[in-house]
Amino acid sequence: MDSLITAAAHALATGDPLGALKRVALRDDPPALALRGIAMAQLGDLVRAKALLKSAARAFGRKEAVARARCVVAEAEIALVSRDLTWPAKALDAARATLEAHGDRVNAAHALNVEVRRLLLIGRLDEAERMLAGFDPSPLPPALRAAHELAVAGIAARRVQTQAARAALTRAAEAARVADIPALTAEVESASLVLKTPAARLIAQGKERPLLLEEVEALLSSGALVVDACRNVVRDERLTVSLATRPILFALARALAEAWPGDAPRSTLLSRAFRAKHADESHRARLRVEIGRLRAELRALADISATNRGFALAPRHAREVVVLAPPVEERHAAVLAFLADGESWSSSALAIALGASPRTVQRALDSLAAAGKVQSFGRGPARRWMTPPLTGFPTILLLPGPLPSD
Amino acid sequence: MKRSAAEILREYGPFPEAEQVHGVTFDGHQVWFASGEKLNAVDPESGQITRSIDVAAHAGTAFDGRHLFQIAEDRIQKIDPQTGRVLATIPAPGGGGDSGLAWAEGTLWVGQHRGRRIHQIDPETGEVLRTIESNRVVTGVTWIDGELWHGTWEGDGADVRRIDPQTGAVLERLDMPPGMGVSGLESDGGDRFFCGGGSAGKIRAVRRPR
Repeated sequence: MDSLITAAAHALATGDPLGALKRVALRDDPPALALRGIAMAQLGDLVRAKALLKSAARAFGRKEAVARARCVVAEAEIALVSRDLTWPAKALDAARATLEAHGDRVNAAHALNVEVRRLLLIGRLDEAERMLAGFDPSPLPPALRAAHELAVAGIAARRVQTQAARAALTRAAEAARVADIPALTAEVESASLVLKTPAARLIAQGKERPLLLEEVEALLSSGALVVDACRNVVRDERLTVSLATRPILFALARALAEAWPGDAPRSTLLSRAFRAKHADESHRARLRVEIGRLRAELRALADISATNRGFALAPRHAREVVVLAPPVEERHAAVLAFLADGESWSSSALAIALGASPRTVQRALDSLAAAGKVQSFGRGPARRWMTPPLTGFPTILLLPGPLPSD
Repeated sequence: MKRSAAEILREYGPFPEAEQVHGVTFDGHQVWFASGEKLNAVDPESGQITRSIDVAAHAGTAFDGRHLFQIAEDRIQKIDPQTGRVLATIPAPGGGGDSGLAWAEGTLWVGQHRGRRIHQIDPETGEVLRTIESNRVVTGVTWIDGELWHGTWEGDGADVRRIDPQTGAVLERLDMPPGMGVSGLESDGGDRFFCGGGSAGKIRAVRRPR
């Protein structure tokens, strides 16, 4: 390593990106490009950082595979933080294999963590969990250990395993404290809010109240029949029936559950399922057909019987029927939920994350923007969306060290 | 060209006080090495750090019999080893791309890392007297008995090689074991080279072939 690169790397490591830039600003050799890229990332210019790291990765020769792989990992982390989900996962995977093969375990672990965070963000929990299975974070430096525990906590929280989530968050907080990076500590604190703020609403027998995540967990194992409007499933302790692709059936199930232990009048069911104001004979016939379909779907969980006014739900095993609803219900709630992480998203990234078509997401964003609930910046493919106020990029970058041959 | 495997005689470090080894030299009794913000002296018998000087130390280190020379950023500092004071500073010929440093016959020899060359300079003014081209990255430079040796380290491969000071042709080469880099080089005037191990934080004594 040469002297200015050493000095610049030292400045970066002590949290002085401007000092690093000052030393290598005019140099275009690959280690200087990599250092400039990481310094720019720390200063928040992610577009420039990405371009610099890309050219550094290209410029490192075949023999400098480790240095090149570190650039690829840094580039992937920047892509993640800027919500550029079109990032080719294969390049990151190959970089991780290279780092592992050359014994760079710390940066290989960092690469793994970036991959897991991406899977978590786009809701591919099974894959994220598989990647983390059997991984031992104890040899990692504290900052990476904290990032790893945050990923573990994220998976557990989404799986509604509050004990596991709490334990991981405690370990993350401890690691962040040892790492002594204020931004990381703040990130762990804000992640911990998931256990302290209402995760859902409980609607039962005409009343509703907010539920913390651990109350949701308790409810799911309480033996009640839960019509879960967060995931569009109906479940009891033993069985889950997904109605995610059958919105009309789910709307009927929810209306029946909200009326339990009483019955739901036909007019209510018609307006909830078909948005029909007045019931005519064709509506009634259609309702009978849909109730028949719902009865078939829920056969193992509950029976649906006709009453004078309409229909009533009778659970087979459960003693109680409740509805679990998102904390706030409004149109495009799912889009808002993703934007609520405070990051700026491209509409194509949102489409990937939501599993919806880009056009649908674009329509949702346009109507949310008209209502002043989201704002955008940039133009064309670089356009990004976020919820006001503009909070920048709080997700901390833990970029790998750029030093090659070292 | 003679080619053989480097024979590692002994390893020093890693040292808890210093994470990396950027440059090494030998003052006849102690091995000095640069660790970024410090110059450290190691007793080659005990392997312990005996003292440290707080001075910027980012790359090559050399000793002229009285003073230490140390590359920091884009300059070469002349340091009194007794007091630790910087007595003089000259510009480094590689403008900050400098890596190895050696003293011989009244001049300084500076390895320019990615520039793949070695400059001979005037230690008073920094003026470049001549330049030898190498075909490898230069990480450390030393003179011993009229032989010019330098270290290289590219990716996984590192070696210590003797080159013709007139033509730059490689005359002899000692290959380091896989995974061991050479970030600095100094001979002890006898049968040993001291090789810095970069971020491994180690110094390795390598047998000099006869």
